[in-house]
Order: sequence, then structure tokens, then C-alpha cells
Amino acid sequence: MNRGFFHSKTVTVIFWLCMSMLTLVPIWWMFLVSVKRRVDLFGAPSFFLDVSSMTWDNYAVVLGNPVFRKYMFNSLVVATSNAVLVSVLALLAAYAMSRYKLPGKDNIFFWVLTNRMAPPAVFLLPLFLLYTTVFVVGDWSLFDTRIGLILLYCVFNLPFAFWLLQGMVDGIPQELDEAAYVDGASTFYVLRTVIFPLARPGLAVTAILTWVFAWNEYLFASTLTSVHARTITTGLAEFVTVTGTNWGQLAAVAVLTLLPAALVLALVQRHIVAGLTFGAVKG
Amino acid sequence: MSSVSLEDVEKSYGAFTVLKDLNLEIADGEFVVLLGPSGCGKSTTMRMIAGLETISGGTLRMGEREVTNMHPRERNVAMVFQNYALYPHMTVLDNIGYPLKVARVDRATRRRQIEDAAKKVDLLPYLDRYPRDLSGGQRQRVALARALVRDPEVFLLDEPLSNLDAKLRVAMRAEIKHLQRSLGVTMIYVTHDQIEAMTLADRVVLLSEGVIQQVGTPDDIYDDPDNLFVAGFIGSPPMNFVEGVARDGTFTATGVSNLAPPKDGKLTLGFRAEDAVLDQNGRFSGKVFEVEPTGEATYVVLEMGASRCIIRGDKKFRPPLGSELRFELQEGHSLFFETESGRRVRGAP
Repeated sequence: MNRGFFHSKTVTVIFWLCMSMLTLVPIWWMFLVSVKRRVDLFGAPSFFLDVSSMTWDNYAVVLGNPVFRKYMFNSLVVATSNAVLVSVLALLAAYAMSRYKLPGKDNIFFWVLTNRMAPPAVFLLPLFLLYTTVFVVGDWSLFDTRIGLILLYCVFNLPFAFWLLQGMVDGIPQELDEAAYVDGASTFYVLRTVIFPLARPGLAVTAILTWVFAWNEYLFASTLTSVHARTITTGLAEFVTVTGTNWGQLAAVAVLTLLPAALVLALVQRHIVAGLTFGAVKG
Repeated sequence: MSSVSLEDVEKSYGAFTVLKDLNLEIADGEFVVLLGPSGCGKSTTMRMIAGLETISGGTLRMGEREVTNMHPRERNVAMVFQNYALYPHMTVLDNIGYPLKVARVDRATRRRQIEDAAKKVDLLPYLDRYPRDLSGGQRQRVALARALVRDPEVFLLDEPLSNLDAKLRVAMRAEIKHLQRSLGVTMIYVTHDQIEAMTLADRVVLLSEGVIQQVGTPDDIYDDPDNLFVAGFIGSPPMNFVEGVARDGTFTATGVSNLAPPKDGKLTLGFRAEDAVLDQNGRFSGKVFEVEPTGEATYVVLEMGASRCIIRGDKKFRPPLGSELRFELQEGHSLFFETESGRRVRGAP
């Protein structure tokens, strides 16, 4: 049984090796730059790690820098709060849309989705003005605050999260809620003990994607923050200065920025198992 | 346990009324079956009693309490759903114990009550399994145990056996009936299967197009139907109908002679297959159209003018096709209905 040259295992392996290289080589290159001494940076380029001249100095400098640590902390707070808030709100919205007869339900759903289609840059100037001049209480304004960023990311992530979870909640048979109500449960008890556990695979996907969106976001973070609420992505740009670019430290920060995202993905991955509800209803 | 009473209960969606003027008294400890074809409103009625559908008009009482506008969780009813509605992420133990957990019963008491309920339906060895690891019949029993675990006012069962295979259905039917009798609970059961209704019920409520057609014991419904719908719906094979005209005290129809109707007008004669007795001098006659042996008996399909009737004969009875058969009806087993309204006309024929 000849499955043909293009279907052979070797070709498949080679193909996916090439694809992996496309993604992994830049990261590997970034890592190489981050562990090189400044003098080696401009030497002959090599794909291989020279252990004898390797240095962790760039990491030490970056991690020893309180400004960088603050940026990292800001990013973590903003991305995590955003992911939690968005997932909870989207689950509640998806539940309401799925279970209650709301007038104009389909229109609401479509409208929410279309909101996500406008290019974010369009909102940049109005948002800047709102944050600096309108959302102001005394000396305090939303500009350059973590809560400002969290709320903004919620606005942009909610439609997407809602869309993801809607399908998930629709897939949970309504009889399960009804059975729980008849058994004496309140709406929030049903959400907590029935809907939440069953929507967990969807919630995991939603949380991780919104977390990554917020973690990676650059445009708004660079415009709507200045000192206090700067995030790590905007902080990266600060390594490009008028006197030159500090490539080693820039690469070290980039590697450090990548790590939490990889970690979150690894942790949540096991929850992304579909088909939990299979066999729940019917025989 | 308590009684349930529906007074002028109505259900409408916008201008479309699905149930009208529902009046029903269900006694404490009674087993009532709501029976009817698909879309007759029987499931809606049950869902209104459970509180899962709002009631558009009328009053619903459980015992002395009026529950018309109460949330399902305040009504204290237990319901078994057609597709079981087991929580897939919980073990059998947690599924059965869910109502107790909601009611914040302490762990030790909960465990004891769960085991009691599981014992009643033979589920003790399966407490640590998940619903996906159980067979259809076992899942059904988990759903029953979840209803039994607390002490509700009323048990509601919505077509609980329709997803089981025929053999298991018969076995579970007996179990449910036995359970209801031994616990003395009030049970309302929805089904479209008349055999289930007849075998289980203390009283059957037969619904069609959102209106109660008849309420009565299985015997009443079978022997003494109020209208053509009830007569035609109950029984297998269904009741035979022969349309004719009654004038001057004689009912005239093809294949029928010398029959005295209770009144004049357009009438329909109804009789059951087993009430026909072969008789050379009988007043009824028809041409053999087909012969259907079932093993225990032989059903003969007769052509009587435009109508076809089925009569029951001996198991070895094999009349030749096309031959003429004469038969007589047992005393008191010929029923008359008004052809147009379908209403039963009572009185000795």
C-alpha cells in the first residue's frame, strides 16, 4: 500500500520541522542575543550557543532594575484582572443570552460582535481625551492607571469572550438548570455548581486568550499610560534610545515577557478538553 | 406529600393559547397520568406545576399553599426529566445528594439519606461512578433517586421511560408503580404511551389540543369514553367506528341492522374488537379484508361499507379472504357518539 511520496512519514516530519523552525528560530535568536556580551553582539553571527562566552548579565541588569520590575508587575496585574473580569462578565452575559427570552436577542448578539470589527486605532484619540479630560475626579484621572487599562481591555475583549462562551453555554442542556432549580437552587447557585464547572473548558480558552491579548497589547498601553501604569510591552521600546539600542537587555526583556505567557498556556492547557458534557443527557 | 389543584389554569404564548380552562384535583398520594398525543399540552401542564413555565391565568395550589407565581425552588417538588438531566461533572453520589446540598443538610445526614435513596433503586454499588459510565436504565434510576432523596410535596415525571428500550421500560414501569405505592407519594406522570398510562395510573387525564378530554380511572376511560377522541386514542387496536344515521329508533349503516340508538340523528357506532362475538345470526356483518394472527389471538379486519373494523377471534381462527362474517356485540358494549361534535350519547341502545 503505497500512500505516495507526499504522505510518507518522513515528508510530514520534515514539513513540521520547517514550520516549527519558522516560529522557534526567532525566539532562539532572541535568546542568543540576550546571553551574549556586548562585544560579541556585533561579531560573526552564529546559530549556536557559545557556552564559554555566555553571560546572564543582561538578565541581572534587567531584573535588578526596579522600573522594569514595575512594568512586569503592571502587565501581570492588568492582564490577569482583565482575564478574570472578562471571563466572569462574559459567562454571565452568555448565560443570560442563552437562557432568557430577551427582545432583539439576535440583534444584540450581532451588534456586540460588530463592535469588535472596528480598528482599535480609530478609538485612540477619543479615548485619550476621555481618559485625560472627562473621566476625572479632582486630581485623579483614568489616564496612566492600571484600572484604566483593565477597563479598556475589558471593552475590547468582552465581545470576543462573549462570542466564545455563548456557544459553550448553549451546548449545556437547559434541563440541567431546570433540574437544579426544581431541586431548590438559586440562579447563582446554578451558575456556580452547574454552569461554571461545565463551561470550564470554554472559560479556560477565554481566560487564556484574553490574558494574552492584554499582555501583548501595545497601542493603548503606550498612549494611555506614561509612568505609573506602563506595561512591559511599552517598556520594551524604552531600550531604544537616542544614544543607541541596548540589544542585549532588550532581548532579555523580550525573553522574560515571553515566559509568563508560555507558563499560563502550559497550566491552562489541560483544562481545554472538549466533550465533558458528552453522555450527560440521553443514553 | 400534598394534594395539587389546578383551577381554570391557562397558558398562552402571545395570542396563541395552548392550554385553556384546566381544572383538575389531584388527591394526596394519588398517581395521576397526563396522557395525550404530541403537542397536546401535557408537558406544558407539568412544567407549569414545576414552575418552569409561567401560568398565564388561573390558580395552582399544593395542599393549602397557593404556588401560582412561585419560583420552582420554593415549590418543593421533585422532577424526573425525559433525558434524566444528570449533572455530568458529578458522581452518582453527588447527583443524588444535590438537592440536599442545596438545602445545606450536613454531610453525615446527607450521606445517610443518599444511601437510603440509592438502596431503594438498587444503585448502592454505583455511587462513585459518573453518569457517562452508566447504562440508560441506571441513569434513569439515578434521576429517580435524586427525586426520592428529599421529601417533596409532589413527584413529577416527564416521560421518564421514553429513552429506554422496550424490555427495560416494562421492568421500570413496575418499579415506579411499586415505589409510588410503597411510599404513598403524590405522583404526576406525563406520557404519550397509553399502555404506560393504563398500567400505572390511579387516574388518567387525557388531553388533546390543550383541553382535558376526560379524567377517570383506566377502566372508566377504556370502557366508558366521553367522546370519539378518547374512544379512538385508548386501546390497541383502537375502537372501531361505523358512521350511520338513526331515524325512528333504528340505526342504519352498512353492515349493521336492527340496532336501537339512544336518539335520532347522525351517529357513530363504536365498539371494541374484543367485544365482538362471531354469530351466524348476528346483527353485524362485514367482508374479510385481512387476517392478522398475533399468537395469542387472531384479529380480523372487516370491511363494513366505507369503514374498516377489527374484531378479535380465536387464535386458530382463519376465515378465507373476501368471505362474509356475521357477528354480535356483547350486551352494553355498543357505544354511540354524535358524528359531528364527537360527544358520547348515553342511554341503553
